[in-house]
Amino acid sequence: MSDKNREGKRSARERMLEERAEQEARSRRNKKLVVGGAVLAVIAAAVVVGVVVQNQRSKPETPTAAPAGTIGDKNLIIPVGAPDAPSTLTVYEDPRCPACGIFERTFSPTVDQLEDAGKVFVNYHIVSFIDRSLGGSGSKYGANALGCAQNAGHFRDFHDVLYRNQPDETADTFGNKQALIDLGKQVPGLDNAEFQSCVNSNTFAGWVSAVQQDFDKSSFKSTPTVLLNGTPIYPKKGDEQISPENLVKWVDEANQGKQLGTPGSHGQSPAPTSTAAETNNPPSP
Amino acid sequence: MASQQAEHGRVSGFRRAVDGPAAEWFGLAVRLGLAVVWGWAGLAKVSDPAEAAQAVRAYEILPESLVKPVGWGLPFLELALAVLLVLGLGTRVVAVISAALLLVFIAGISSAWARGISIDCGCFGGGGTVDESQTTYLQEILRDTGFLLMSAWLIYRPRTKLSADAWLAA
Repeated sequence: MSDKNREGKRSARERMLEERAEQEARSRRNKKLVVGGAVLAVIAAAVVVGVVVQNQRSKPETPTAAPAGTIGDKNLIIPVGAPDAPSTLTVYEDPRCPACGIFERTFSPTVDQLEDAGKVFVNYHIVSFIDRSLGGSGSKYGANALGCAQNAGHFRDFHDVLYRNQPDETADTFGNKQALIDLGKQVPGLDNAEFQSCVNSNTFAGWVSAVQQDFDKSSFKSTPTVLLNGTPIYPKKGDEQISPENLVKWVDEANQGKQLGTPGSHGQSPAPTSTAAETNNPPSP
Repeated sequence: MASQQAEHGRVSGFRRAVDGPAAEWFGLAVRLGLAVVWGWAGLAKVSDPAEAAQAVRAYEILPESLVKPVGWGLPFLELALAVLLVLGLGTRVVAVISAALLLVFIAGISSAWARGISIDCGCFGGGGTVDESQTTYLQEILRDTGFLLMSAWLIYRPRTKLSADAWLAA
């Protein structure tokens, strides 16, 4: 009898213990579910907030302000030479890209001659992606300074000075705005407060970003990318290596039987006077 | 018989190592290490949204409509994981998501390598097309595999010292 009683007691206690253990397990499970749910909610919220914030922070693909005289549907292109020239040379360059520096130092006299003869209309896309891989701001500030020079009607001269003084790719000299302003002093017409403030305030930063975003979406992956009437010619056109002589030859071949263009003042548009820049760029109210 | 006992000793030694306080301290180190990785990776991708988008676009995997949302959202996902790892909150869930994300990264890098395109993985900022001589696919995959092992440890043993999880369980 007493044995039976003891047995009953034990099983009652066991049952109680079991129940309590079950309860604890359930509450542990609930806690885990709550924590897991909170974690997923935090992550989802972070991603949504991130996308919204970055959307607001990103610069538009269509710039709100572009340098005077730029062309194309979003005003991303800097034109040099006669717009009615029979051939178009399209150049994508980054101010910090060493291959672009080599290209410019080798070809700019030839390109200038072709422009001045009304043989080519050159379209520059000043891109700025070297900063991404090497850090710094030389590509972006250099591109902005080129935009400032274009705005003042001195793109071609400043462009040539910039590439002649290009530092080593890893040195971020162009990230120093004063260095860009000092280079501007070598170009008659850029040694003034207007150019300096344009460089210092990074006036065309939005335009620079828009030009780069346009390049990002293009099928071109490296600089310099050089196209003659849409056909890539750098480093080769078909089997032929590019050289100043070959460039002239290819342009003449393409222009055969066509009327040459009439280049404006020194191949630059707007004409290199401060009034031209002002009339093309009315101050916003 | 003796060998069986030795075997048993080894196994329980392993058990002790994996379950004991030393393992929880080790788990803390792994957790904070992984937090630093995600924090660094996330912060490096926040400053320039266009660069982040281009890093994604360069893989040539996602359609253009998804390039920006992924490029913009990913760094914040990484930062959220970093914060949760520092807190030690929901460590197992966070470790599972970390491992899944790392598997996606490894798959993406492998795919780029296999297709012969030349890109920087953009793992810690940067990204986009690079010269063929500058690709470091193997190093990138090995590095992510290391991070994957860290995540795997935290999935296996999510109990770590100085964690919100431990505090909540107490």
